[in-house]
Order: sequence, then C-alpha cells, then structure tokens
Amino acid sequence: MGTDIGGTFTDIIAIRRDTGQTRIAKVPSRPNAPVQAMLEAIEAVGLQKSDVDKFIHGTTRITNAIVEGRLPKVALIATAGFEDVLEIGRYRRRDLYRLDIPPKAPSLVPAELCFGLKERIDHQGRVIVSLDDAEIDRLLAWLAKTEARSVAIALLHAYANPIHEKMLAERLKEIVPYVSLSQEINPEAREYERTSSTCFNAAAMPIAVEYLSELEEKLPIGHGLQVFHSAGAMIPVSAVKRQPIVMAMSGPAAGVSASVGLARQLEQPRVLTFDMGGTTTDVCLIVDGQPEMTDGRMLGDRPLRQPMLAVHSIGAGGGSIVRNGPGGLTVGPESAGSEPGPACYGRGGRDATITDANALLGYLNPETRLGDRIGIDVGAAARAIEPIAKALNLSLTETALGIIRVANATMARALRRVTVECGIDGRDCTLLAFGGGGPMHAAGLAELYGIAKVVVPAASSAFSALGCLTADFSFLQQQTFRAALDDIDRSGIEARIGQLIAQACAPLLENGIPKNEIGIELVALMRYAAQNDAIPIPFALPIDVERLHHDFLAKHHDLFGYATRERCVIESVRVQARRPSSTAINRPGVPLANASIRSRICSFDDERDVETAIVDRASLAQAVTGPAIIEDAWSTVVVPPQWQASADTSGNLFLSKVRA
Amino acid sequence: MRLDPFAVEVIRHGLSAAAEEMSLVMTRSARSPLLREAGDLSSAITDAKGGLVGQGRDIPVHLGAMAFTIPELLKVVPAAGLKDGDVLIYNLGALGGNHLNDVKVVRPVFVERDIVAFAVSLAHWPDVGGTWPGSYFAKAIDTFQEAMRIPPVLIADKDGVQTPILDFIKVNVRDAESCEGDLLAQIAATKTGEKRIVELCQQHGKDVFVATLARLHDLSESEMRAAIRELPDGTYEGEDHMDDGGPDGEPARIHVRITIAGDEATFDLSGSCDRVSNFCNTTPFIAKSAVAYAARIMSGRDMQQNAGALRPLTIITRPGSILEPGWTAAVAAGNHETSMRIVDAVFRAMQDTIPERLSAGGTTTAGVLSFAEPRQDGSWKMLYEVHGGGEGARHDRHGCPATRVHLTNTSNTPAEVIEANYNIRVEQQSIRRGSGGRGQFKGGDGIVRSYRILAPSMHLMTCIERMVVPPFGMQGGQAGEPCRVSLTRQGENVDIDGKSNLVLQADDLLTVESSGGGGFGLPSS
Repeated sequence: MGTDIGGTFTDIIAIRRDTGQTRIAKVPSRPNAPVQAMLEAIEAVGLQKSDVDKFIHGTTRITNAIVEGRLPKVALIATAGFEDVLEIGRYRRRDLYRLDIPPKAPSLVPAELCFGLKERIDHQGRVIVSLDDAEIDRLLAWLAKTEARSVAIALLHAYANPIHEKMLAERLKEIVPYVSLSQEINPEAREYERTSSTCFNAAAMPIAVEYLSELEEKLPIGHGLQVFHSAGAMIPVSAVKRQPIVMAMSGPAAGVSASVGLARQLEQPRVLTFDMGGTTTDVCLIVDGQPEMTDGRMLGDRPLRQPMLAVHSIGAGGGSIVRNGPGGLTVGPESAGSEPGPACYGRGGRDATITDANALLGYLNPETRLGDRIGIDVGAAARAIEPIAKALNLSLTETALGIIRVANATMARALRRVTVECGIDGRDCTLLAFGGGGPMHAAGLAELYGIAKVVVPAASSAFSALGCLTADFSFLQQQTFRAALDDIDRSGIEARIGQLIAQACAPLLENGIPKNEIGIELVALMRYAAQNDAIPIPFALPIDVERLHHDFLAKHHDLFGYATRERCVIESVRVQARRPSSTAINRPGVPLANASIRSRICSFDDERDVETAIVDRASLAQAVTGPAIIEDAWSTVVVPPQWQASADTSGNLFLSKVRA
Repeated sequence: MRLDPFAVEVIRHGLSAAAEEMSLVMTRSARSPLLREAGDLSSAITDAKGGLVGQGRDIPVHLGAMAFTIPELLKVVPAAGLKDGDVLIYNLGALGGNHLNDVKVVRPVFVERDIVAFAVSLAHWPDVGGTWPGSYFAKAIDTFQEAMRIPPVLIADKDGVQTPILDFIKVNVRDAESCEGDLLAQIAATKTGEKRIVELCQQHGKDVFVATLARLHDLSESEMRAAIRELPDGTYEGEDHMDDGGPDGEPARIHVRITIAGDEATFDLSGSCDRVSNFCNTTPFIAKSAVAYAARIMSGRDMQQNAGALRPLTIITRPGSILEPGWTAAVAAGNHETSMRIVDAVFRAMQDTIPERLSAGGTTTAGVLSFAEPRQDGSWKMLYEVHGGGEGARHDRHGCPATRVHLTNTSNTPAEVIEANYNIRVEQQSIRRGSGGRGQFKGGDGIVRSYRILAPSMHLMTCIERMVVPPFGMQGGQAGEPCRVSLTRQGENVDIDGKSNLVLQADDLLTVESSGGGGFGLPSS
C-alpha cells in the first residue's frame, strides 16, 4: 500500500503482489489522529490490516509541525560565545519595504534554553580548548533544570572534528531521551545553517518517534513499514527515528518519485513535475531519469540544510485567494484552505480563488462530488469574482481567464526557478502534471512557457501515493571534503568515500537487501576555490581527476555562461545507495462516480462560451481534439482549443498543440 | 495602446524574475565573500530610457540609486552608439553612482535592432585600489585617494571580454584573481537578464512589452500620488546627526523639510551641513535613493518600486553640502551611513503624523570593519564585515534583535567561513542584551562580535556610525545604546574611532558592539 497524506486528503493505492490488481481511494486527512487515518485508509480500499505486508507513506506531518510552530521544547548546546547563533542568524530581513512584519522569524530555541559550552575546535579540526569533565558537569546541572527532553548539540567546526559532540552524546544518552548531533545531521560548515538544521531535527524527534512508534505498534509489519525521505526514496521507519528531519520533504518527494518512474518508463529525458494541490504547487526537474538535488531549503523562514530533492514549492494552489491590490493582481499565498474552501464549494467561502475561476469557465463538473462532500456552485464562484471584474471593468469570463493566466504566470516562475538553477531551458522539457489542479492548468501553463509536450499520468489525482509503491529504496550520505583538485590525495579520499558508501548501504543491508542489488551513485560537489556554492558533478571510482575537472568546467559554463582556469575544489561528496524498484503497476482503474453530461459551455483564451465535449477518461480510446474536458471521479483535464489529447494503454494522457 | 491588465501582470512577474535570476547567478558564482556570503550586490532591469522597472530582492540603497544609473550614463554615452552585445563597466559617482566600490556592469538589450531595456548588475568590489586596502580611507581629502575611477568603457562586446580593459582593471586592484571572477559573474548576470527580456518580447510582442513598461511606471505613480493625497497638507521638519564631521568635529546635521501639497511632495534637504572632511559625503543620487525608500514607507502601500513612484517627488539638495559635495569629494561611507541618516530625519519629521507606519531609530549604520591581510605575493586578502544591530520598536511590537534596517540588507559572514579563509578567530558573537531602548515597546538588541588576530599584522578600517549620536526613541521611547569598537592589546583595552584606518598586530582582540534600536512609547514606570 502506498499512502500520500496531504493537508486535505489522504490518497491510497493498494496493489496485490501476485495479480497486480490495484485499488484506489481518497479519505479526509486527520491531522490530529494520523495513525487512525492510515488505518481508515486501509479500510477504505476494502482491506484489513492483516492483508498488508508493505505500507509506504509520504507525510507532511513533520513539515506542518515546523511551519505551524507546534514544536516540543528543545535545548541547544553551542560553543561558549556562540549560544545566540540562532537569534543572530544571518541578519537579513524577509521583506525590503515592510516594517509591519518582524524582519526575521523568532529563534527556534529561546535564549534561556541555549547553553554556551567552554570548548573550541578550529576549522582544521584541532582542539584549541579541550572539553573537561567539570564543564560537562556544569552543563548537566543546567540541563536538569530546563527539563528539556530533546537536546541539539551544535559545536563550532564539529564537521571537521566531532570529538566533543560525541563525548557529550555519550554522557547525555542516559539522561535525555533525544539527542541530535550537528556532526550527524549536517556535517558541513556555516554555523547558523548547521545549528538550525540540528535544532529542527531535535524538535522533530519527539513528534516523529511518538508517531512512528504508534504506527509500528498498530501495524506490526516490521521492515515493511516505510516512509518517504526528502531525497526521494523510501526508508524503513526504524531507521528514520534518529534523523526524522529527513522526512521534511516526505510529502512532495513521493510525487517526484512517481514522476521519476514514469519519466524512465516513457523515456523522457527532461521532465518538469507540476504538482498543483489545494494550497501549494510543487515543481521539480528530472534529467535522464534522475531528479535534481539541492543542499537545503528554508522551512518556516529558517534554514534546513540537508541533501534533498530540489522541489520548489510556491504558495499558490487551487484554493489560493485572488486579490486585486495596488501592486497588481495577485494569487496567494493566502489560501481558503479546505475550510471554508473556494467559494464554489458552497461552504461559506467568499473570496475568489483559482478554483472559482476554473469553475466559472466551465471546467469543473457541477455534479462531481469528492467523497460526497463537495459540489460545485458556479453561481457562488461568479459572486466571488464579480468585485474583481467590476474593479477591472471586465466581464466575468474575461476576469476568470485573466486570473488563470496570472496563476499560470506564477507557476511559470516556479518552473523557471528549478530549470535555470540547473542551466536547462525548460521549454525542452515534458510537463508532467498531477495533483488536483495540475491537469487543469497544464496546457495553459505549457502554452505560456513554450513547452510542447504535456503528460497527465494515469491516476493523476493519487499519483503521489502511486509514487510510494514504485519508489526505489535508497539512503544518502554527504560529507565535507574541501580537497583542492590540483593536489588531491586520491587514495586518502577514495578510502573516505569507501566509508561513506558503507554508511549509506547500512540501512539497506539491515533491511535484508542483498549487497549485489545495491547500486551506488557518487556526486562530487565542486566549486572554484573562492566560490561559495558548489555544483554537482557525477563521477565514478577510481577518481579520474582530469575528467572531473573537465566536467566541472563544462557544467559551470552551462550554468553561468563562463568558466576560468582558477583552482577548483571538491567541497563535499554525496553518496547514494539505491536498490531500484521492482514493483510493476498495471493500469489502475479509476471508477467514474457519476455519469456526466456529454457537453458543457466553457471559455478559453482563444474561444469564449463554446460548447465543449466532456469525455469520460476511463473510456478514452482515440485522440480527442480540443476544446474538450476529460474527467473522471477525481481529476479534470482541460484540453484547450488547438490542443489534442490521446491515451496510451496504461492510461497516461498526452497533450500537445495541434500544428496549424 | 490598450493593454490587457493580465498581460501587464505577467510581464511584471517576468521582470522581477529576471532581476532575481541575475542576482542568483551572482551569489552562486561570485568569488568574494562580500558577494557570495554577505550578498552586497543588486540587479535591475530598466526601460530603454533607464527608468527602473524590475529589481531583485537586494539592497534598497543600490536599487534606489540605480534609478539614475542609466539615465546619467546615456547623457555621456548616447544610446545610438551602443551595439548588440556591448557591455559597459563604470563606477563614477557623477553617473548615477554612489561610491567607487559599487561597480556597475550594464548591457543594453536589443530586440529587432532597437534597445528595449538595460540589464544592470551592481556589485560591491572588495577592493578597487586607492590608498588603503578595501578602498575606504576615512580621512581621504578627495575621491582620488579612495579608489580607481572607472569611466564608462566597453568591458565586452559581441566578440567577448575586452582583455586590455580587464587587464587594466586587474593591475589596479589588490586581489586580481577574485576580481576577475566577480566581474565575469557580473557580465554573465547581465547576459541572463538579456535572455529573459528577449523571451518576454517574443512572447508578448515588442510593442506590448515596451508599452507595459510605461504602464508599470504609471501604475506606481498613481499609487504614490494617491498615498500622498492621504497625508495632511503641510510642512514637516526633521533632523538627525552624523557622529562627527561638522564644524570643529561636532556632529554633522542632516535636515529635511517635507512639504505635502495635494498629491505631490517636496523633500528639501538644503538645511543639511556643508561638505564634510571625511568619507561621509555622498551624491545627490544617494539622497534621492534614501528619500525614495522613506517615501515608500510613508505611503504605507505595497507598490512596485520603479521610476514612476519617484515622479510625484521633488528632492532638493544644496550644492556644497554633504549631499551634493561635488564629484571629487570622498564618498565611500556616505553610501550607507549618510543615506541612512536621511531616512532617520524623514521618520522624525513624520513621527507625530503617521507613527503607525514608521519605526523608532534602528541600527542605521552598515557597521563596517574591513580587514586586509597581505599575501606573500603582494596581493591582499580582504574581509569586509558588516554588523547588524537592533531594529527600532514600532507602535505594536518590539524591535527585532540582530538585523538590518532600511537601506541595507547584507548578511554576516559565518565565523566558520572567516576562520577557514583568514587568519582571524571569531571569539564571540552574541546578542548585546539590554542594548535596545526602553519603551512601551522595546528596541531590538544589538550584537557583540569579537575578532582575534592570528596573522603577524592586519590592516583594519572602521566605518561605523551611531557611536556618538544614538538611534532615537519614538513617541516617548528611549534611545538605543550606541555602537562601540574596542581593541584589547596586551591586556590593555582602548576604544577605537568609528572612522579610522589602523594596523593590527598578532593576538589583538577587536570587539564591536552594535547599537540597540530605539524604543516606542513611554516605558511603564
């Protein structure tokens, strides 16, 4: 079973191992009883707990707890003189011209829970001030008074020498239940980012351990119980408890993982994922079947530095509120959420949302109900959009079309962001659209951005859950090396990479995966000696220094348009141990709940109020020319005029522009 | 031309995205810590006449000055002579400049043989030659002592980088290698901007693009006019002071008289003091940049910051004053110190009228310590450290500790980066507890950061204001603690002046304490 627990809905896909038979369901998420919701999910596909031998899920639980600030008490142990590291941060304020909002997020750990420990290690790992027992005793006395159950230890230059952090961990393990070491969570330079990441882990630990333990108890299937991590693969629940922060991007990662599977299957060299949900849209770039990775992101306006999928999230989804402000028409980040939801859901929402614009244009089936909870009230959508139309002196239809275009422009900016950071022209990519809103906006977005090919995968509304089933099993390790390429100690580095490989393989081996099934991917993060950001260069052992140098110069030129002969450095090495997925999926059946009418009046950029064919997705056999709406119980695919759609035998839809 | 309001919005997104992408190219590929760690750089897109239309999320004082960078350039380099592929470099104050360290790289963007826009990359170079490593010299009698002056010259054309010009620049700076990398990054950034602008023109049509830029100016202008109309007509006066530089070394006065009349506002800065004898003079462009920022805050509105927003504003400076000292005056520090004092003066002028839109005095100084360490080959390693401090309190909340306010938004350089790259050990970086001014709402606290020198010797330059005249309290709130710099050498502790150039020795401990913000409202008891 694969389960994607979103903010509003939980999607489930169950697959029977021997026959490949598939079942899909959608149930409301229960943020206050997540484990209960999962057990309900099993029932929703007509199964019992005893039927399930593998349960893989992606969850936003950790992310939401962080973003919403519902975190348990954490104590921070820092080097003396640096105990205010979180409060100081990097100084920068969030918005240049707004004095009304505080310039920075408050520190994750209040000052009274930060301790300055007398010790000092330099950047080469030499002990300058040693840590003695008296100092540790002073710390323990302080810690007892704080009553903190989770402790983050982030000492200066611990990435270069972890000895003091390890000494503390040894002494603390009998005293506090949860300890996070910066050297384990993020062994890389820059004290604020490392400390922040370590504190995130410390804050996530009690929540994660409690939740995962309950899950293990209620669903005792051992290694079969797995969770998605931020780097886009799955990991057994038991292995994630020490580093729960690796779940920070668990939710979006499942969708990307499903996309990776499909990109490989369809042999698409460059794919842009476009996962548009109710409140956010996630996009990610996949090149040659590999998702792009990044070193971190901001979470609740604080840095989390971890190797993770380079998913760019923007606060714009179907429920995003549209405002006609002085700076222009804006979409999001304010959202109508699931309560009251868009005006057209008829539950008291009055603000115009993107979904309301889609409803007004005729794209949504008024009879469709999601889990018998939601109908579409087009009149309510019109009432919400009317004030904006009046202010702009435009008709309702023109305004709704305009809202869609502005929403698509916002999305296009996100697509540009993930492609330019990798030096790739997004127009060469295939747009892979899923989530509730993705298939509705895909053709318009592609048109705006100049993308020629769009794919709407089978089971697009539950695609992320599907990703849980088809994902690889993998684990990732990254370590700072800072080795200058021109006088590299090859054998020394190769020995250290060997250790990293062993560490990355360990969780897989512990879970009974045979060594010969594990593939190893190596990436050197390289930069010029004086630069900051390192760029990823894949390589193999034994290290071919000239090849590495050549590949770096080529990539730098791709990214920035120039390259010089300056000294370059391997900043760090990333090792991913991976066992490819062997799960095959047949065409998932997606029953259409209501028999739908055969046509509706819809409007598009090029044609207004045109009679538009409504096609049942499950019975789509031959190519459909726009304007048309392809729909099933949970998804709506908009095929604008001059576009056409066709399906393959697996149920994937291909949209492309008809050549005039 | 009738414009679809949604197309205008889509192009506006595209312009901001293009400028943000330019900054991203800079921070990711630049060499100097000042650019890659502290982010002392800005990117902008202007229309064909030089009116700012798109900017990154960078440094407000740069962005404000860049509204003048292209219009002034075009007075001496006519647009008709520019060709597709040309890239100009310059740093002269007279050409819409601010100080010599901020080097502008400009690329005209051609579509169908016409210039439709300019892509501008501004970066603070860690050294541009001159008297002192880092190109800041507190007692400079004129700008010739400060740094190399670069008039507008072609640094690249359609065939690539102009090597003779690059070589000329490299032999005049103290860290030629990182200078070259930074400059190439700037050129690459303008190329990125060009690419995006050309795409926008292809998507929407050149005529729609050009008309949209004009529309964006009009929108911001009408927004600014509406905001000014809401303010009560009348004259408002405010002043604040620089720590020194006035007659007999007294605090130097910055004064503003604001006249609101209907939908227009005049900011007359003529009452400010005469040209000063240190590097705190500045250019009229910087004065305008500071006023543009302050007017935006006064408006209380969210609007696109562009040239149109400036149209209802008349900004007057007096020739011979600290704000219009002539093009040969020393101006290195005025860029980030004197400019901030203008914002302070405007806030004080308006504090009884719109207190809810303002904040009490914050850490209105860049708080610069510049360290320079000689290498064996005679080149220098430069570390330009800025220091955040306390934000001023507001009518409904306390000030934030350890942040940047108003015209600047540069970051610190992490201790772990400093220690790995320089012979310095950062011994402490803490919140300076209790330094924020008291009040109904308290000012934010400043910070303490101390540097142990591990090299045999190191050149130091200090450029820190608010050491004598503290950040003001508002509506009865108390002032914040002023900044302080001290040096401990062989057990003896001495205070260091905020505008000085000196040579440090091994084992010296230099400590900076940054100012706390002013409080807002009367403190209870």
